[in-house]
Amino acid sequence: MSSQTEAVEAELVGRSPGQLMWRRFRRDRVGVISACVVVTFFALGLLAPVISALYGKDPYTRYGQLDPGLLNQYGYPVKPNGGMDGEFWFGIEPFTGRDVLTTLLYGIRTSLLIALAVTVLAVVTAILLGIAAGYLGGRWDFFISRGIDLLMAFPQQLFFVAFLPIIATLFVDPREETPTYVKVVSIILVLWALGWMTLGRILRGATLALREREFIEAARVSGASPWRIIRRELLPNVVSPMLVQSTYMLPNFVTTAAALSFLGVGLTEPTPDWGRMFSLAAEVYRSDITYMFFPGVAMVIFVVAFNLLGDSVRDAFDPKTVR
Amino acid sequence: MSTRAPRRARVAAVSLAITGALVLSACSSGGGGGPDGEGGEDTAAPETSAAISFGDAEASTGPAEEVPGATPGGTVQVLQQTSPDHLDPAQIYVSHESNLARLIHRGLTYVRLDNEGNYTVVGDLATDSGTVSDDGRTWTYTLKEDIFFNDGTPITSADLRHTFERQFAPFITQGPSYVQQWLAGTGGADYRELLPEGPYEGDHLPDSVLETPDERTIVFHFAEPQNDLPYALATPGYAVVSAEGDTQEAYDQDPVTSGPYQIEDFRSGRSMTLTRNEYWQPETDPARNAYPDSYEISFGHSLEDSTARLMADNGDNQYATSFNNGLDAGNGPTVMEDPAIRERLIDGFQPYVATLAINTDRVTDELVREAIIRAVPLNGVLNAYGGTIGGQYAGGIISPLLPGYQEDYDPFGKLANPQGDIEGARALLEEADAVGYRLNYVNNTAPEDQQAAVAIADALESAGFDVNRTEVPPETYYDTIGVVDSELDIYRSSWGHDWLSAATVIPPLFDGRQIQDGASNYSHLNDEHVNSEIDRIRTITDPAEAAAAWVELSQYIQEETLSFVPTFYYRQTILHGSRIGGGVFNDDLGTIDMQRLYVIQDEG
Repeated sequence: MSSQTEAVEAELVGRSPGQLMWRRFRRDRVGVISACVVVTFFALGLLAPVISALYGKDPYTRYGQLDPGLLNQYGYPVKPNGGMDGEFWFGIEPFTGRDVLTTLLYGIRTSLLIALAVTVLAVVTAILLGIAAGYLGGRWDFFISRGIDLLMAFPQQLFFVAFLPIIATLFVDPREETPTYVKVVSIILVLWALGWMTLGRILRGATLALREREFIEAARVSGASPWRIIRRELLPNVVSPMLVQSTYMLPNFVTTAAALSFLGVGLTEPTPDWGRMFSLAAEVYRSDITYMFFPGVAMVIFVVAFNLLGDSVRDAFDPKTVR
Repeated sequence: MSTRAPRRARVAAVSLAITGALVLSACSSGGGGGPDGEGGEDTAAPETSAAISFGDAEASTGPAEEVPGATPGGTVQVLQQTSPDHLDPAQIYVSHESNLARLIHRGLTYVRLDNEGNYTVVGDLATDSGTVSDDGRTWTYTLKEDIFFNDGTPITSADLRHTFERQFAPFITQGPSYVQQWLAGTGGADYRELLPEGPYEGDHLPDSVLETPDERTIVFHFAEPQNDLPYALATPGYAVVSAEGDTQEAYDQDPVTSGPYQIEDFRSGRSMTLTRNEYWQPETDPARNAYPDSYEISFGHSLEDSTARLMADNGDNQYATSFNNGLDAGNGPTVMEDPAIRERLIDGFQPYVATLAINTDRVTDELVREAIIRAVPLNGVLNAYGGTIGGQYAGGIISPLLPGYQEDYDPFGKLANPQGDIEGARALLEEADAVGYRLNYVNNTAPEDQQAAVAIADALESAGFDVNRTEVPPETYYDTIGVVDSELDIYRSSWGHDWLSAATVIPPLFDGRQIQDGASNYSHLNDEHVNSEIDRIRTITDPAEAAAAWVELSQYIQEETLSFVPTFYYRQTILHGSRIGGGVFNDDLGTIDMQRLYVIQDEG
């Protein structure tokens, strides 16, 4: 007993909210495990070219078509379990005969890149517009909030399906091959356009509540500029909803981007893509369920881990909320 | 025939729902079978056709030859993907509409498949397949007696005159234009000037073109010999239209019919019920057995859906089949490997041949063209369309359905080496001093076309080409490649014959005098020898001799002009339920022969 009391007393030192959060987070085992999983996914995505080089395969070569022994007459892998063997660890893709492992790694890489970029853009936009609306109030608040309402009323899927094919043509002469980066950029733009409003609203609400608090009043009275107040007084106080919300947003963007590819408006052949793997898998699962297994399990693990991580981050910031 | 080829249907669903379900069953057995390309024989379509003959009056007398074991009665369920947009015969060209039309409309002739598997052009409304005179410039048809529309009015030569005259009307835009062009003696769309408003303003075709001297005689007068007329008249596009009952545009929704069935009920996009036409006399019809009492046709079935239903073979599905829905790529291998299901499979070829056209206007160096031909990987293309379920590697442009088809024809060794000859192509490119040659390649965004295009582009790049690949939506694809000045070098097109004669393949694809925007000479080939041969072969009256000459010309085009790469012959695989009898593949239709179907009745 006494030793514990002493220990508590010994630790009685000043800590910033960030340090407190970090300590609480480290104690949450689920949170730590999901964080490790998420970090692993990012590492796999980043290291995809390295892994591909070490493993000796790439996601573009049509192994099954170049080597006549790998696919049968229907275009499916000859070997059981989707053609898995020592050579192709996760099997080969039906019809095209590409390597599933590297396709999946590169698919994860593009998906995470897109999701991360959209998340960053969406968060920045939400901060700018949400806090501006909340802090400035009045006419600004009215216009920004109505803008948010308008965008939220948009049928999202329909908007994506309708606009994605058009956007790329804005950048590229239709006679020229569309470079992959243009396709990626257009997906990012479209997802961003309709992806920032929820966070924007949350931030507006939080700012609205903070605006009337004494420390803001004090800063204002002491002559601080609005920009300084937003930067030094408001922003640090909305970090927690921002972080929590963006950990939910990121996996959401991953699945949305995958759904777009599934619907045929996302990244096109031959760029390896997670969503397109599902699209093919849905077609061939009766004859080759293995092809659905790896991308499917990877997606489930990723989304679950990211959502648990989001929960843990929220708990760590705000231990009072009961899950 | 329309160049529209079937698409592998895709199911749209939320990806996460699927990934959740798959954890349950994570293993799959191997695809098994031999490596790619081997073992193709046992699943290849069995028959290829011999030249078909023109039937005389005796062969054209009804009723149709009995199908052994067939009994009348019952209802056949038909599972279709697409609902017909057109029911007016003159607007019918695409295959899913033609197949339906053959049950409800009759024309002057019909191509009948008999019990021995022979094809004969017989007189349908006419007493025979046609009497020719004047070296093929004049064709005379006599109508049978006791032929009626489903409103009870007799079919006379006035109806036939009206049928052909209204083909010139401005609102008739979708159907075939062969006979109109022959009557007008022109190519392209110029034939419309012969009778710009059709028969509706009181104008008629002069007797020097179309003559109807009495109630039962129709005489066609052509400027040039037209020896394929009996085939052309057998296409549903030239089926009879009632002069009295013609409602012009509205006829497309509610036509007067003449076949053994009439439309009882049609809900576009959902269902159609066909019941017996009581005015149809079996004694007048040598081609249609019409055993079932009715047809229940339902639309909106994806290939996955219809295949799963027919595989299950339960309830109403026992009485079901499809006219157009083939196997989907996911279920296909199961059907092929399961003998119990396989025996209910009707298997053959669609008329379409997929080719990669090379724009000879732009790619003028023959060495470069040959390099393209050698590099294209046939397996990369066919795999995208479902492997041997989607088709069979093509050696030439002549479909296996056409007379004169040569199975082992393979001038560039592509059947033996479907991966493509990359080294050979590179050597040719180096010889032409054109390594890095830039090729503008367009494909459409349908998943299988993308996959095939990726394989082709990949192979061409490894051979040393610089491929600039662009994509357009499937809806505008043929408009894009049909532009003469398109600045495109290579593109896929699929072409199918309209009847069992290469006369509907070689001239539209390779006649250099027909190059214009929207025309089908996708290679822009204008070769004097080819043009003169086309004219010469058209005058040959003997079908077998003509067929041989067309094949020879097709081989000249392929080997000497190096203007296209045949990639595969589309296959047609139709399942039917266990209570459907008489299912055979009909090469003329390119699908199951609906005229011979019957319902296997309950015992006792």
